[in-house]
Amino acid sequence: SSSDSAVETPKKDDSDPTFIRLRNPSTGTSLYLLGSGDVQLYEVKAFNEDFHSWFIGQTVQRDGRLLYVTPMDPLYLLLPYLIKAGEEGKFQPVDQVVMDEDFPACTRLLSCIRSQASLHHVAEEKEVGSQKFQRYSQERTMEWLKKKAERTVKTLRKSNISVGEGVKSTTYVRVKQESETQEEDYLRYAHGLISEYISEDLSKALLKHLQLPELSSPKEVEPPSKKRKLTDKPLEAGEDYTKFNRSDFSRKPPKKMSAAQKTLAKVDKTGMKSMSAFFSPKGKAEKK
Amino acid sequence: MDLGEFEADNSVSCRLASAIPDVCKTEDCCLGIDEAGRGPVLGPMVYGICFCPVAKKEALKDLKVADSKTLTEAQREDLFRKLDEAKSFVGWALQILSPNTISTSMLQRSKYNLNALSHDAAIGLVQFALDSGVQLKEVFVDTVGPAEKYQEKLSQRFPGVEVTVRPKADSLFPIVSAASICAKVARDHSVKDWNFPEDLGEVDADYGSGYPNDPKTKAWLLKELDPVFGYPQFVRFSWSTTQTLLDSRAVTVHWDDDEEDGEKAAARQNNTSMLSYFKTGSKTSAQQGNTHQTHRFFTERRLQSLATL
Repeated sequence: SSSDSAVETPKKDDSDPTFIRLRNPSTGTSLYLLGSGDVQLYEVKAFNEDFHSWFIGQTVQRDGRLLYVTPMDPLYLLLPYLIKAGEEGKFQPVDQVVMDEDFPACTRLLSCIRSQASLHHVAEEKEVGSQKFQRYSQERTMEWLKKKAERTVKTLRKSNISVGEGVKSTTYVRVKQESETQEEDYLRYAHGLISEYISEDLSKALLKHLQLPELSSPKEVEPPSKKRKLTDKPLEAGEDYTKFNRSDFSRKPPKKMSAAQKTLAKVDKTGMKSMSAFFSPKGKAEKK
Repeated sequence: MDLGEFEADNSVSCRLASAIPDVCKTEDCCLGIDEAGRGPVLGPMVYGICFCPVAKKEALKDLKVADSKTLTEAQREDLFRKLDEAKSFVGWALQILSPNTISTSMLQRSKYNLNALSHDAAIGLVQFALDSGVQLKEVFVDTVGPAEKYQEKLSQRFPGVEVTVRPKADSLFPIVSAASICAKVARDHSVKDWNFPEDLGEVDADYGSGYPNDPKTKAWLLKELDPVFGYPQFVRFSWSTTQTLLDSRAVTVHWDDDEEDGEKAAARQNNTSMLSYFKTGSKTSAQQGNTHQTHRFFTERRLQSLATL
């Protein structure tokens, strides 16, 4: 299918896939990819965890990231423009609405195969002559997002993804059956996922539309301001740890140490000769 | 001495042994333990045992074995040949701990120090002699760490065997001298023509004794440093000599068990402090207002949105 490859889809024209920066409805700015002559939109995400690097052929890549380019519904990115225009309450042609000084590339979203055909999910449409006019509809959008949430729930179930809340509000009282509660967990999780692609206002509205009760936060508890020190008291153990109690024994290594010194400080050096042992007088050196 | 078995894969620990003399399976035997190559930054550490019937102790003296450190390399070679020729009543076994074994043991997550490595090598060799049918009655060891503790450890491990741990045992007991010669000869041979398994092209073989204070060894370490990989497996990475060079001249590498101050490390790893879950309501709403909280589907999978490549 066309979504399997961002590079090898049948090309409308000869243009290569291009990375573009667009307004992310949830976070501000994000990177996206347009494939096969702007017909298909992809979002770009990176797996990023500390302490990872790549060996690529005969080179080392210090950045251990793995980029994922996955198909995305362009309607999510068109929505903020339609909503803004919708505040005027008028029907307008969509190409007059989708304009952005900060992200001029946003007009290219309108070339995506799904864009024009799916506008009716989020807007009322009027046709005058050959020209189409749209006006944002909150009702339609909510229904569309609800369907998205339901489809997401299906996929979550199929993919066996754990959706249970580890921590729930203390004031939240379970009145429903366990199976229904699970259903609610799935829906809440799906709502959270979709909220990654819509504004905070829409997210709140969707929560209501899905009839999900808001979770209230637990009662405020001031955390202890300081971590408790683990090493305040001398250790007691069967083995001889008396050296830990000597005044010259310091548990913490000196403040400023190089990376190598830190690594070395951790090596258990029991049984190793010190460097100075190699320079001491012959008589002493022979004593092992 | 044929080190072929070790040279076939010098990245791991290897045991070499002579045939067990028949007389050792019937008569009460004594056994000496010693090591060679504890201090060097290059090459393996070798543990050696030598054993013979208690009644043949005098015959061993006649071979004029002495502490390997008081002998020249040629004298050691000669004595090892004599020991090998005395195979009718003398047996030996070696445990060659490759430099790679030493590095990975000492630098692994749960540290395994050189003394523990040494003790375990010695215990393994004594057990090998017992398993081979040697009628062990006496064991003599040069000490590693406090002699009393070591003697207690070995005595408990081998009940029925009289264990003597002494400093300078290699000059006090001929059977320990014999063991020290076996260990030292194996160490010399393995270092002399080290077979580098890495694809290094032409490697300078003039690395000296391998001790950290040897100018030749120092010069070699400076020359052979690779900024990414550091050194071939011939070098003990856990030695301070190596670490200092890597720190000043190689690319910095961070491991996830590097110790850092808690908060700084947490911030770098994008971890959320447990305490943040207990923050007051006003702070929570402020957080939501300004910064978007990524859904746990993505945070659990370490997936981030990108603004640039």
